[in-house]
Amino acid sequence: MRQAFERMLVYVDGSEGSILAARLAAVLASQTHAELHALAGVNTRALSDLVQAHIFLEAEREEYRRDMDEDATRYLRHATEMGKRLGVYVEGHSVSGSIAAAIKNKALEIGADLLVMGPPPQIRSRRDALYDEVETAMRTAPCSVLVARDEERIEELYEQLS
Amino acid sequence: MALIELLNERAIKVPLMARDKNGVIRELVDVLAAAYGLDNAENVFLSVLDREAQGSTGLSDGIAVPHGKTDAVPNILLAVGTAPDGVQFDAIDGQPSRLFFLMVAPPEKTGPHIAALAEIARLSRQSALCSALASAKSASEIMALMKGD
Repeated sequence: MRQAFERMLVYVDGSEGSILAARLAAVLASQTHAELHALAGVNTRALSDLVQAHIFLEAEREEYRRDMDEDATRYLRHATEMGKRLGVYVEGHSVSGSIAAAIKNKALEIGADLLVMGPPPQIRSRRDALYDEVETAMRTAPCSVLVARDEERIEELYEQLS
Repeated sequence: MALIELLNERAIKVPLMARDKNGVIRELVDVLAAAYGLDNAENVFLSVLDREAQGSTGLSDGIAVPHGKTDAVPNILLAVGTAPDGVQFDAIDGQPSRLFFLMVAPPEKTGPHIAALAEIARLSRQSALCSALASAKSASEIMALMKGD
């Protein structure tokens, strides 16, 4: 019989919500023996918006791009270490461009049947929701989406298994 | 991190007293320091000035977004201020700036920093909202406008 979830993808961006999502994904992978993939990205769309708006200089875009590349590597390393504590191997993927599109494409590419994410941020208006990458990824994901909430419970589950 | 999560009424000053660019940056940094109990406001000020020295963050239509990266802040911090009479900020359209968003972030928060600045970029294109923000009479009015109340 097939497992409910055989291949999971978790999005990590350094936010508290995404760290919680990575913990929940590691717990689920440990319990279901599903494959776990983690994705971190460089939001080059936002960088381009900032240059276009004249908030960023071209040199600044490059500087921040390098910083974001390093951040993505660090977030993936962290997710890998979280999985390792539970005996779960985490396959890391670093992407760039529109994060929502990258999540969708990676989920399709690896055949993910569950996307795990932190909660979307508060939004100021419906217009902002259209631009929020996490919210967009949730709406456009080609598979089921699990939003990590209830920090206490997830931490407890994680600590029990580690 | 959404812009609305960075807003703090204690980090909004309406109106600013300063009448020149460096004075506005200094005043907004002081607002941040008071609101968040920053120990090293001078380094925050210098990080913003350092960025400003590379090119003005004065946009068109009276908006300016001075920003910087520094270890002197624990998280991404935002201060908002208005200058109804306008302050010369070397804006790209040459016009005085009336609405200021000063944002500083520690180096390891690049992604959320970019996302928050991108949200300001989108907000700067909403001319009616920006005009209302620049004309606001109090910090609470700014909060309400930003929240869309």
